[in-house]
Amino acid sequence: MTLIRRPHIVLLAMLLPIGAPAFAATAAQYAAARQAILNHYAAEAKKADPNFKGFSAAAGKAFFLAHPATARKATPSCSTCHTTNTHNWGRTRAGKRIAPVAVSVTPSRFTSLSKVRLWFRRNCQTVYRRACTAVEKGNYITFMASQ
Amino acid sequence: MNDGNVAPHLIPWRTGRAGSVRVWDAAVRGFHWLLAGSVLGAAYTGFFMKRLALQTHLLLGIAVALLVLFRLVWGLCGPTYARFASFAHPPRALGAHLRALAAGRGDRHLGHNPLGALMVFALLLVLAALVFTGAGALGGVLKQGPLAAFMSYAAGRGVLLVHGGLTILLLAMIALHLGGVAFESRRSGENLVRAMVTGDKPVLPAAHRAAPARPRPVLAAAALAAGGLLGGAMVAALSALPARGMPPARLDRHYVNNCDSCHMAYPPSLASAATWRGIMTNLTHHFGEDASLGRRATARITAYLTANSTGHWDSLPAHLLRAANPADPLRITATAGWRRMHRHIAVAVFRAKAVRSRAACSACHADAKTGRFAPQNIHIPQTAMP
Repeated sequence: MTLIRRPHIVLLAMLLPIGAPAFAATAAQYAAARQAILNHYAAEAKKADPNFKGFSAAAGKAFFLAHPATARKATPSCSTCHTTNTHNWGRTRAGKRIAPVAVSVTPSRFTSLSKVRLWFRRNCQTVYRRACTAVEKGNYITFMASQ
Repeated sequence: MNDGNVAPHLIPWRTGRAGSVRVWDAAVRGFHWLLAGSVLGAAYTGFFMKRLALQTHLLLGIAVALLVLFRLVWGLCGPTYARFASFAHPPRALGAHLRALAAGRGDRHLGHNPLGALMVFALLLVLAALVFTGAGALGGVLKQGPLAAFMSYAAGRGVLLVHGGLTILLLAMIALHLGGVAFESRRSGENLVRAMVTGDKPVLPAAHRAAPARPRPVLAAAALAAGGLLGGAMVAALSALPARGMPPARLDRHYVNNCDSCHMAYPPSLASAATWRGIMTNLTHHFGEDASLGRRATARITAYLTANSTGHWDSLPAHLLRAANPADPLRITATAGWRRMHRHIAVAVFRAKAVRSRAACSACHADAKTGRFAPQNIHIPQTAMP
């Protein structure tokens, strides 16, 4: 009865064999897009420091959890809104939910350079009151990709 | 009118008990008490509960409208004493009645006496006026109901004042009506309140009787059904017309995509053009955070917001939030209008986990995203109540 009343369920089920591979394909595309962004920041980091060796997830974690002295009162840390657990949903000061930052939970994270640029620009200014370096950004993405 | 020749037992539909005559039929009694209850309920919700019980108030108002409509029909097709013809006394009769009362020798009327009849017609008239002014206020102020397409906010405000004034007049008339019932009960030695419950009055000599009239319930039902259907269809059709000066419920996609990551995309009709310009030129210091956008996105969103700001709309929020607070010009929640509307909301509600912030309109206003903020859509989360 339920299926008769809701034909879209049947329709979606019929689409599953087509949808599943498409989903796997997007996951691979996401990974590729994320790597491109990491490469972009690695090139920038190398330009600033020829001795740059690579990004560190541990440094990214420390950066994420830090409470910098320069922070604004309402936003002392990245984890203020994102929570200290990267798998959790966060919440903005205005009450809006934020999708988990961990890539394993939100696969589309760090896949659009314009979005990544926008949010690093905004949130670095908000928490650190300065622009972040390419190394810091790369560490951050590397940490989230490992989560 | 004065027809003492027909003995009660000769009236075929008379069902009064022995020694009494059925004056108020079940429909008139039901009408009277339902009307009394609806009017009291509407007055209470209107004066004391205001927007918190708006939906109840509207339902009671609709009940009053239907009851008055029924009474008009029953006044033409009901039994003897329900008919307007039985108590549409000429002005001459009113003068005679008053002179007789002043001289201490009034006649007894089985139905409404001339003074009571005047009150009945006046009450029906004021009730009808209350229904129309109520619909006018609803249409103008809240842009709801059949008159939403025709009433401006300012006109709605004016009509709302008349609506309140008419209610005070109505309450005074009800007081007079009760006084009249008490006076007549005392003077004639019969309990008129009980008569409106049982429908019967004792058969006493020298009473003014009306010429008996046979009720026409089928005709009444047909007239009511036709009137109700026609009226209902008209109200539905008028209500479906686009409301006058209401901002569109759907917001610009580009604006929503950019701004609702951190907070609800506030409909542009909630702030003045000056406030929007101030916000958009200060995005790097946006209420304690950096919310900067690219140059093109900033220009495009600024144009959208200013072109749809408070001054361009006639909705209640657009009027309430029109004047920015000079001390805090960029904050919608700092305006005098916002503060007045939320003055009874405890600070604890805004701090509660389910709300978090004064800026989280949609935590309590289910239709916040449309800019409508209908009173019926306010639901303060239970967990946020102190």
